Amino acid sequence: MKNFIEVTELKKVFGNGEDEVHAFGPATININAGEFVSVLGPSGCGKSTLMLMVAGLLDSTSGKVEFENKLVNGPKTDIGIMFQDNTLVPWRTVKGNIELQLELRGLNLKDYQEQINNILKSVNLDDFADRFPNELSGGMQQRAAFCQAMIHDPKIILLDEPLGKLDAMTREKIRADFQKLWMVKKPTVIFVTHSIEEAVQLSNRVILITPRPGKIDREIKIDLPYPRDLKVKRSPKFAEYVNSIQEVFHKYGVI
Amino acid sequence: MKKFIKWIASGWMLILFFIGFFLFWEYSIPLFDIPRYILPSPSEIVLKGSADLDKLIYYTGVTALETVLGYIIALILGVGFGIAISFSSILRRTLYPFFVSIEMTPKIAFAPLFISWFGFGLMPKVIIVVLVCFFPIVLNAILAFNSLSNELTLFYQSTGASRLKTFFSIRLPAALPQCFVGFKYAAINATVGATIAEFIGSDKGLGFYISIVTGNMRPDLAFAGIFFLTVLGLTIFGFVTMMEKILIPWHISMKRINK
Repeated sequence: MKNFIEVTELKKVFGNGEDEVHAFGPATININAGEFVSVLGPSGCGKSTLMLMVAGLLDSTSGKVEFENKLVNGPKTDIGIMFQDNTLVPWRTVKGNIELQLELRGLNLKDYQEQINNILKSVNLDDFADRFPNELSGGMQQRAAFCQAMIHDPKIILLDEPLGKLDAMTREKIRADFQKLWMVKKPTVIFVTHSIEEAVQLSNRVILITPRPGKIDREIKIDLPYPRDLKVKRSPKFAEYVNSIQEVFHKYGVI
Repeated sequence: MKKFIKWIASGWMLILFFIGFFLFWEYSIPLFDIPRYILPSPSEIVLKGSADLDKLIYYTGVTALETVLGYIIALILGVGFGIAISFSSILRRTLYPFFVSIEMTPKIAFAPLFISWFGFGLMPKVIIVVLVCFFPIVLNAILAFNSLSNELTLFYQSTGASRLKTFFSIRLPAALPQCFVGFKYAAINATVGATIAEFIGSDKGLGFYISIVTGNMRPDLAFAGIFFLTVLGLTIFGFVTMMEKILIPWHISMKRINK
């Protein structure tokens, strides 16, 4: 049986001639349905480029991406996406921003009112539904963006360093939110990050990307039980995973 | 009423400054023995101006019509071209550089030509106001519609929404704050365009009035005309600012000022 997502010899080169920048690849990756995969690498290694190419939001230079045997040749729409800089619009409230996702997809807002309330409650934002994004802290904004990205129950979730700008405590909290949602709904997640600990805590599998041009150094299966709470994070096995990944990047002189 | 008191309370320094300014003006004229045909006192301007009030009000109406008409036409053309240029790569490579280079020409220099082509009536004035207002509006509109964040672009692409839907739900509201930068700049320039056009060739309007009374050695009446021009300019600018508050109350830079 074929894999849910198959990335074959995918490569990206920006510009041409003397300005040519080899950003990523070639790389081949297979992802199963319901898997939580982290793409881990130093900044500038092309991991975001990879994510966007998988989502069909960026054309590849060569190679191909297939979802359930179907070739991707334009933006995929059954996805939820979250970036380091959130996609909340300042003229809508938190709730209005969540509804924006539904409106753009032509879904009926009435059918989703209960789900909107539930998802806001799950990230402790139910009291802030009618606030505007600029009235919220960075962490709250990112939690609102999380609700916006998930409300339509996407089968595939793409996270591009969504916690990059947050403080350590807030990161911890939102990681737990991600994990909770993933354990319940089992979407396929591609999580781009440069935090080793984050990758180990959340994923089934971590894909290590080399410095630019990003290639796959190796893949590491994380064999720890879910939910991965503080107890798991303090376990020797967790530390072992973190250490072995650190050694790889140390070898490249990244850390 | 409460709001008004609050406004007075917060603006008392400015009010004091204005009172002081006019008092200084009023009493420095006898003090320094300035002849009234050079600089009249504020009280004399009010006195002589009110004798000419009918004319001043009528001329304000004339200038207001030229200004507002020209401004609205510039607004429609500016936003229209701005959107067209933002979404068409051909126009962006042709019209856009053309507009940028014309922006460097002082538009007012065309005024005598338009008067000689179209005569003394309303049309040449409106054209000059359009010309003065169009460029700040169109250039800011282009900037506005091209500065959507990369993340929001990817977000709406991932929803599969139509271009029309994205335009009205994301692109247009996101562009409004920058558009209003152009609208406000144009609003300030609109009365300038109308006044200079009237200086050059017309038989009514505040610009015409000011140039005639100045020729007759009546600076008191010229100042009265300038006062009405200022009121007209402030009204137009105030209206645009009010529209900004109504249309984009969420805009951050406004919220900071209100605090």
